[in-house]
Amino acid sequence: MIVINLDVMMAKRKMSSGELAQRIGITQANLSILKNQKAKAVRLETLDAICRNLDCQPGDILEYREE
Amino acid sequence: MSTERSSGNIIRYTKIATIIALVLVVTGDVFGYIITEYISRVWAERSDTFAIVTLSVVYYLGTVGAIVVFINLYRLLNNMSKDIVFDVRNTKLMTIIGITCIFMGIDCVAGTVAWFGTIYMAVVCFFMMLVVFCVKAVFEKAIEMKEELELTI
Repeated sequence: MIVINLDVMMAKRKMSSGELAQRIGITQANLSILKNQKAKAVRLETLDAICRNLDCQPGDILEYREE
Repeated sequence: MSTERSSGNIIRYTKIATIIALVLVVTGDVFGYIITEYISRVWAERSDTFAIVTLSVVYYLGTVGAIVVFINLYRLLNNMSKDIVFDVRNTKLMTIIGITCIFMGIDCVAGTVAWFGTIYMAVVCFFMMLVVFCVKAVFEKAIEMKEELELTI
């Protein structure tokens, strides 16, 4: 399964959910869906905005784990 | 005329047609004893008690099924007019309609012991059941796609 390590990166960059949501242009509810592994797909556009604002690579956020 | 307004009108007209059909079925229930006797004597050309009683039972069971179908169809259309389209509630209503069609089909098949003509109604019921279950499968797929789209961030 694909795990989204958004919490880890946000903690490293000391950025709150509200601030990140505002910067990448999505609602806090949608950011929460991403953080809680409820999302079924992530748009490249969203991933691009996350990476730009958290100054990281997609691999820092997305991780593959055996189920 | 916009597509949204046109589909809204279609739903409204179908709701009116459903109410009229429901009223007709209830009226048919009230005069059921006359209708079944007419069917038995004129169409089936049988005036024995067995034929009249059997056709009466088949007729009344059939109208109960029709009432269930029309009520659930009205509820389905009502949901659609409230913009609740691809929803689990609608697929449940379709399941009820489909299962009722099966029962009505079986009821009509049973009616052939008195008059073979009911087999045509049975064919219509089973065909309706297939159509309803096909539409239900399409709705289920649409619900799945909608959920996927909603969870795409």
